[in-house]
Amino acid sequence: MDISDILQDLNARHLDRDPFAGNEDGYGEDGQHSGQADLQALTRAWVNERGAAELLPWPKDGLIERATNRIKQQIELVEQMTGDMDPKTNFSLIIIQTEVERWKFLIRSYLRARIAKIDKHTLHYLSTPALMERLGETEVAYATRHQQLLHGHYLSSFLGSFPVNLQNLNDTAGGISMIGGPDEEGGVFVRGLGSRDGGEGSVVVRGRGRDGDGEIDVQRGEVVVARWSDVREHVEKGEMELV
Amino acid sequence: MALPLQPGLTPMEVAFLCEMELVTVIPRQRLESLNLLGGPTPALRPPHRAPLPLWLALLLKRQRRANILPPPWLLPSSLDAIRKYETDTSPQTFSPPPPHPYQISSRPSPTDHISPPFLPSSTADSPPDYLPYHWLELGEILLEACPDDIPEPDRVRTLLRDLREVRMAKMRASVKELEGGGVSSLRGVGAMEVSEGRSFIVGVMDGLRKLGQSREVARREREEDEGGGGGGLDDDEDEDMGFE
Repeated sequence: MDISDILQDLNARHLDRDPFAGNEDGYGEDGQHSGQADLQALTRAWVNERGAAELLPWPKDGLIERATNRIKQQIELVEQMTGDMDPKTNFSLIIIQTEVERWKFLIRSYLRARIAKIDKHTLHYLSTPALMERLGETEVAYATRHQQLLHGHYLSSFLGSFPVNLQNLNDTAGGISMIGGPDEEGGVFVRGLGSRDGGEGSVVVRGRGRDGDGEIDVQRGEVVVARWSDVREHVEKGEMELV
Repeated sequence: MALPLQPGLTPMEVAFLCEMELVTVIPRQRLESLNLLGGPTPALRPPHRAPLPLWLALLLKRQRRANILPPPWLLPSSLDAIRKYETDTSPQTFSPPPPHPYQISSRPSPTDHISPPFLPSSTADSPPDYLPYHWLELGEILLEACPDDIPEPDRVRTLLRDLREVRMAKMRASVKELEGGGVSSLRGVGAMEVSEGRSFIVGVMDGLRKLGQSREVARREREEDEGGGGGGLDDDEDEDMGFE
């Protein structure tokens, strides 16, 4: 059997099971979420998440589920290919496995970065529906359970012996909320990705400063330092990305 | 489970990102197209050049199945010209990044918001006069993996080091602009430079912000009282003198 036959066979099999071409998951028509587009989206999501102090919205278009599915299928494929020990296919196998590992790293690092943020400010992200929207389904379950355990532990170890009116973990007495959140004013490095509103595709950022506010046109590909709260809107619209 | 890292990419992660950059290889062996997760690879037929992501090119290179064609900007002549630009023409700011290869047209297209490492800024037909975003990592990786494919590797190494020093000084100097706050541009900066300078620059920024917080709040209140709001800059001139 020639290598091209094997690969053709694999391609055919691969296509057969491609859930993105079918309607299994209800995601778009084929081609709309190509592997390359997903890789770019996943990479951007990862870099953004790693750059921001705040938890960013969970991708609503099923990006993570899709990527996980892709990896699962590719691993099945590798398992099938390991069967025949043709040295030629062996090298293709190494390439495929290397790529799978790269995708796995991206997803794992992305999810771990999110868990770290949820762990740090669990109550904050559970405090309002708008913030809870940012969590994925499993993340909501994780955060709720995490908080339950923590609260139970606090109650049994010390909170229980406090007067009842001091037992809350979310007091806002004195105008200061007990629930801490991430620093929204922290400095970030962002890159302009282009926008349709500005001239020549530049994004207009309004930055607030100590001595004055300023507006600056960020060209495509230009990297600037700004406060997160000043550029958050642009990042969420996809006009800028963190670097 | 949770990631024990600060916000911002570590140098290792930047290198990982850099490995997604496309480079041009000259295959020495045939290799059929592979259906990878990130899209099919081009079929390799010696001696036809093909664009491949760097991680794959390095894999092929290590097994002596291909040679990597260094990007035009990594040639000694280009680096020398860029160094002259960095030191003489523009001693304050970084040399500009390569122009975006895809224009924004009136119709939305998937190429509109593409950014490094997915722009073809280090393939054989990329422009020679600009340092791409991942210049330092890419240069170092290629010098390490395939010095035999790069003309005058020692000179390239020296030039890269010179460039790095010139630009590091600029990176440090950029902190001065952060004083007043607002947005400051680092046009042309590289990924590794951002990664290196991040904690310092962000630290300075956050520190200054916290120190100047009461002043900023006072300014905002005053502007609101005056009802102007827009012309914040001029109002403050006098007061600044008093403080400094």
